[in-house]
Amino acid sequence: VQPPEKPLQTEEWKRLQENFQSPEIFEEVMLNNMIKCNSRVDVAKSLLTYVAKSDGDIGYTLLIKYLALCVQQQKTSEICDVYDIMKMRFKTLESGAYNLFIRGLSNSDKWRMALTILEDVKKVMTPSRTSYESCIKAAGRHQEINVARELYHDMLAKDLVPTLDVLQAFFDFSRGMKDAELKQELFGILSYLRDNQIYPHRMFMRSIKLWFESIPGENWRGHLTNIKHSGQCPVCHHQLEDSNLTEEEYRILKERITTDVIHGRDTFRKTSPQEFEAFQAFVEDRLPFDIVIDGLNVSHIKPKKMHCENLFHAINCLAKENVRLLVLGRKHMLINSSNWKQEVMKEMQNKADFFFAENISEDDAFLLYATLRSGKHCRFVTRDFLRDHKACLSDSLTRHLFRKWQRGHQIVVSSSAEGKHIDFLPAFNYDCVVQTTGDTWHIPYKDMFEEKYSYQVPRKWLCLQQKQ
Amino acid sequence: MQAVNMLLKNVARCSALPFAVQHGVKKDLFPLCRTLMLSPCLKEGSSHSASEKLDLDEWKKVMKSGVQEASEAVSEHKELSTVAAAREAVEMWRLAGRSVPENISDDQLKTLMECPSKASRKKYLKFLYLKELYKKNDKRKMEEKRERRLETQAERDLKLDEIKRNSFTCLWANAMDRTHNWRVAQSMIFGQPLVFDMSFENDMSPREVANTVRQIVFSESSNRKSVDPFHIHFCNFQENSQYHREFLKHYRQAWDKLLITVTERCYTEVFPKNKIIYLTADSPKVMKTFEHDKVYIVGSMVDRSIKTGVSLARAKRLGLETASLPLDKYLLWSSGAKNLTLDQMMHILLTLKDTGDWRKALEFVPKRKYCGFVGRSVSDLRKSLNLVNTLKLGKKREEVQERQFAKNYSKKMLQK
Repeated sequence: VQPPEKPLQTEEWKRLQENFQSPEIFEEVMLNNMIKCNSRVDVAKSLLTYVAKSDGDIGYTLLIKYLALCVQQQKTSEICDVYDIMKMRFKTLESGAYNLFIRGLSNSDKWRMALTILEDVKKVMTPSRTSYESCIKAAGRHQEINVARELYHDMLAKDLVPTLDVLQAFFDFSRGMKDAELKQELFGILSYLRDNQIYPHRMFMRSIKLWFESIPGENWRGHLTNIKHSGQCPVCHHQLEDSNLTEEEYRILKERITTDVIHGRDTFRKTSPQEFEAFQAFVEDRLPFDIVIDGLNVSHIKPKKMHCENLFHAINCLAKENVRLLVLGRKHMLINSSNWKQEVMKEMQNKADFFFAENISEDDAFLLYATLRSGKHCRFVTRDFLRDHKACLSDSLTRHLFRKWQRGHQIVVSSSAEGKHIDFLPAFNYDCVVQTTGDTWHIPYKDMFEEKYSYQVPRKWLCLQQKQ
Repeated sequence: MQAVNMLLKNVARCSALPFAVQHGVKKDLFPLCRTLMLSPCLKEGSSHSASEKLDLDEWKKVMKSGVQEASEAVSEHKELSTVAAAREAVEMWRLAGRSVPENISDDQLKTLMECPSKASRKKYLKFLYLKELYKKNDKRKMEEKRERRLETQAERDLKLDEIKRNSFTCLWANAMDRTHNWRVAQSMIFGQPLVFDMSFENDMSPREVANTVRQIVFSESSNRKSVDPFHIHFCNFQENSQYHREFLKHYRQAWDKLLITVTERCYTEVFPKNKIIYLTADSPKVMKTFEHDKVYIVGSMVDRSIKTGVSLARAKRLGLETASLPLDKYLLWSSGAKNLTLDQMMHILLTLKDTGDWRKALEFVPKRKYCGFVGRSVSDLRKSLNLVNTLKLGKKREEVQERQFAKNYSKKMLQK
């Protein structure tokens, strides 16, 4: 139904309701449509008046919907009125109503009221992160930096993940301010981005750039750039950090891969204890490897060729510079078949070490173990994104470590592999995170608002340097 | 109610004008009034329309006037325990029109508060809401049925003089029960064993355990009613486990009289290892025929989150033979996981045992999961699968070709 253009009389509403197919939900449907069409508040008021007259009361849902309409159109006085009414009628409200009040009021000159409502909400439940966002933005807009910071810390203490908008807002309203403490706070946000491997989007990046350039007396300059494979910034010729883990991080990752990914709750799910022990002994015997290859994965690179041919080709490509190779496979590869010619297999085993797992075991877990055991220089080859293994890790910190390590150590088959040759893209020489040397900052950012896949890393960077 | 409404309307009429004047809409309002008053129609309906101008904020007054008693009612219970607060929150959600149950017990509230996240709380409330809805509907249907029965009863009473004569004696339910029990008792002595492995409690949430037990209860009843039942074993069954508690909920006193074997021991201790075949969807081996001298094991587990390899790991650990149903050989699978519910497994195994006919047995796979039977041969199957795939994937290509064709065709027409 189309909501009317002008406020209607009781009689007219009554007629409309009677003509409506299911009169019992008439008011709700009508108000929903008003929100959708952004009708004038007066029209909604006349509907409420009609409901109040015929029922003597207005239901909670209707009030909320009316409130949503008011918030949508920034009718501050109406929002306050509805708040008074709600406060009188109901002892507590639910989160949806609080969110609407806070959002509506924080955008108006009564933004302090939004803060008091937020305090009220805290007594009953954890406010939503968008409520915090509205309040922080409101405080920032009115130059109440301390209030904004308090709210931000409060939010972090409650384990809420701040929206990127909140972080961006901090950079926006701190522009041009000279406040050492605030500066530290913003550096804190940048290291938060670094620790959680979050990449700002273009708008956010712009805010960061403008803030840096606006710091009085520090003379920062920002440039947008692309960083090539070598990892050297074309603007300031600074070499970016590599993705090597520290000794401690490396040790943690190695331990967690063994306990969480390989053993998990039941070692028998991915392998068996005997097999794993045999594998460990095998690896210890022949350490260290330079490249570990997921044989089955690589053997499927070109679907038209024989599997063993693909693998043979890959091994030849990688075996050139006297590197030690380990190829992981399954036992069925040892049985002569149309895809696995035993002469080729024999020849390959002269060039590389092979380990054959049981046919129902998971070879990926072995791949990770062998690579990590061989040391920091060792890389691995697979087209798999290893997302299921990452998911086995129990906490986000280790998952970040894993991603970082994976970026620096996974050799992927390049997309030009559709052609005649197999090309291997070496692992990244640099780490794709927010990073600083004190007088330079390098911040990767993404062009689009949403990054679709977790394995994709942005190629665009913001280079900030301080000119003396 | 009507009286109240009338009263309200009167109040509204009287108060409308002064209220509007107060709020300074005088200027806009008076021309309207004048035209209305000057209007020649002095019929009944319009006589009061002169005073009935639109007072847009009137609803606020109505809301505020009703407050007095409401706030009193609220202030009565002031206990602010967490349970009460949670109850209130649920009530507010209900008012806001979310999927939340009307009545909620203290136990349920406690489970609700133990939920780790917002989403899980929402999910649990929706679950309770649907449960309540189904219960209500069932109740309503029962009542309707009873009414209908009473009506027909009344009709029958009128024709009481016609006494029915029947040459068959009516076979009552308990007589049926006795025959079923006799058969199951026979199977407990001579029948083929079928084992439910009850060692998955730690891999499941409480709700999954409840679902599992429900499915086993269904399986047990269909086994009892079959012509040649299995001898059901519950192995690895712990006293006072979650399984046990759920079973007691379902069977109550009948639990001790069930004609099944319940044991704490593992199946490897009860049966010779070489006779055992563990059925699991993850098994690389596919079952070809049903063997009457083997002991089949079914894992009593519902996994809503598809944990692959849990039951296969059990079999691997004990070095047992495994098998999976030949679903791909006989069915054109369309969607859904290949793990079936326990009662479906039971139906399939019973049918296999009686007839050995895979097509008949696999009728019990839910229809939504497959497109049809492929009973011929593996190569045929592969062909039709390929066909399905090309139809699915190649549709776009075909469309493009069609469009191209249409384009060319119209070009030709133009050239003519």
